[in-house]
Amino acid sequence: MKIVKSGPILFLIAILGIVFLFFFGLISGDVNTSFSDAYNGLFHYSNDDINQVIIREIRFPRNVMAIVAGAGLSVAGMLMQTLFQNPLAGPYVLGINSGSSLLVALGILSGVGFFSTELGLIGSALLGAFVFGLFILFTSSFIKSQISLLLFGVMLGSFVTSIIAILEVTSHAESLKAFTLWSMGSLQGVSTHQIPIIVTVFIIGCVLSFLIVKPLNVLALGEEECRLMGYNIQTLRISIIFVTALFAGTITAYCGPIAFVGLAIPNLTRMLFRTQNHFVLTTANIIFGALFLLTCDILIVQVSGFLIVPINALTSLIGAPFVIYILIRKVR
Amino acid sequence: MISIENTSIGFNTHLISANGICFEKGKVHALMGKNGIGKSAFLRTLSGLIHPLKGSIQIDGKEIMQYKGADLARKISFVNSVQQGVPYLTVDAFLLLARTNYTTIFGKYSDEDFACIREAKSKFKISHLSEKYTDELSSGELQLCAIAKAYVQGTDFILLDEPTSHLDYSNKRKVYELLVEIATNEDKGVLISTHDIDMAFKFPFEYCLLDSNTKEMRWIKSMEDIEIEFNT
Repeated sequence: MKIVKSGPILFLIAILGIVFLFFFGLISGDVNTSFSDAYNGLFHYSNDDINQVIIREIRFPRNVMAIVAGAGLSVAGMLMQTLFQNPLAGPYVLGINSGSSLLVALGILSGVGFFSTELGLIGSALLGAFVFGLFILFTSSFIKSQISLLLFGVMLGSFVTSIIAILEVTSHAESLKAFTLWSMGSLQGVSTHQIPIIVTVFIIGCVLSFLIVKPLNVLALGEEECRLMGYNIQTLRISIIFVTALFAGTITAYCGPIAFVGLAIPNLTRMLFRTQNHFVLTTANIIFGALFLLTCDILIVQVSGFLIVPINALTSLIGAPFVIYILIRKVR
Repeated sequence: MISIENTSIGFNTHLISANGICFEKGKVHALMGKNGIGKSAFLRTLSGLIHPLKGSIQIDGKEIMQYKGADLARKISFVNSVQQGVPYLTVDAFLLLARTNYTTIFGKYSDEDFACIREAKSKFKISHLSEKYTDELSSGELQLCAIAKAYVQGTDFILLDEPTSHLDYSNKRKVYELLVEIATNEDKGVLISTHDIDMAFKFPFEYCLLDSNTKEMRWIKSMEDIEIEFNT
């Protein structure tokens, strides 16, 4: 219980960490810039100054994206874990990202004009995530074992990967390049003018998550308890899938598939705060998810002079051992 | 009052019928019958988890199907025979979940909610478990907590499916005594299903037999009435 009581302090430290890292990320990198460059770049922007351009057009969107993706994927993972009562669930392992990948691949590689637009990309990523989410939900009513459901998600992922591989072979070089870049996962692909829409969707997702904390708390006891408390379990399940798809779909559309964040952070926050109160957990996932991915990304930038590390490699490097730990400790 | 007319009950297929059966507030009703006769199905039907196959079940004059979920949860609480502990969920948090329908949109609990669980904990003598995690409790402790949680829900009717199956002798007696006390002092209707026939007949319960010959529910008065059922 000690850790629970120091919860507010933990939050405060994490938030200070995010603020510090955010500004650190703005001013440091291959080109060293000053704090006043960052200030001017954000508030008194002139595109004559190369330092300001770097900050505003490269580092700022990248940092914001790290925060949004880290926080969003973590909340999405928490939602999946509560929904399936499975500590190893997450948008990536259950193949919800694969849904986005499949539709985005179909869009980009088929070369149909609409899909190459921004709206088409987000739309197809969202739709793919939602449809695959519903598919997993439907399957979960037949597959009761926690491990089997995960294996099903992994199989779904492999299946989609092979379809995409076939699509790739038959597609044009241009679109193949665009898709390959996307599928590697990166926080760099976002430009400043896209930030408002991403942040808006992110905030909507957060608000929706907070609106369902009450049923989520009861859902931790099981679906039957949820029905006994008077919740319509079907509506609740679909709402959870929808919010998850909103996060996972949008983030996947802009950053490509990012592994393990949605799996590791919700488990980490549960261990840290030792609670099933989803108000606390949602807040914790937003803050610690943001802190985690921002830290990862800044590490990547710092070592980029001599070593290029893809974001997925780093998150997997940290996430995979964590999953093994949970496998050993917890899964039935 | 729960009144049941011409009702057929079961999980998809007919198990047992009930006609002219009433459960009143202020009393403890004990359902008895062989394994698989439909005790759980009956309790689940009353709690709204499954629908009656046909017939009418009225709670305080209103058909059970007409109740909205949250309204039914203010009338009836149900304790499953099997309980599963949840990691990182303390007994206090577990009990508080029964107050969900009385809280704000973000689930913030009031002083009244805390007072409510404090009372329940002292009644069921589980105060020492407050900070323990539910997945670290023994099955008996968890069962006591689950019964306390149903009480915390503050409903007119409390349904318990084999509430004493994991309890030791003294806890069984304690739970039966408490149920009688709660029913009489707080004017609640309590329904339990049980296989502890010997002990149940030592308490001032109303006894209802789910007869395996007629597949019909009927009231019985004494131990003798039940012997024919269980000796065949």
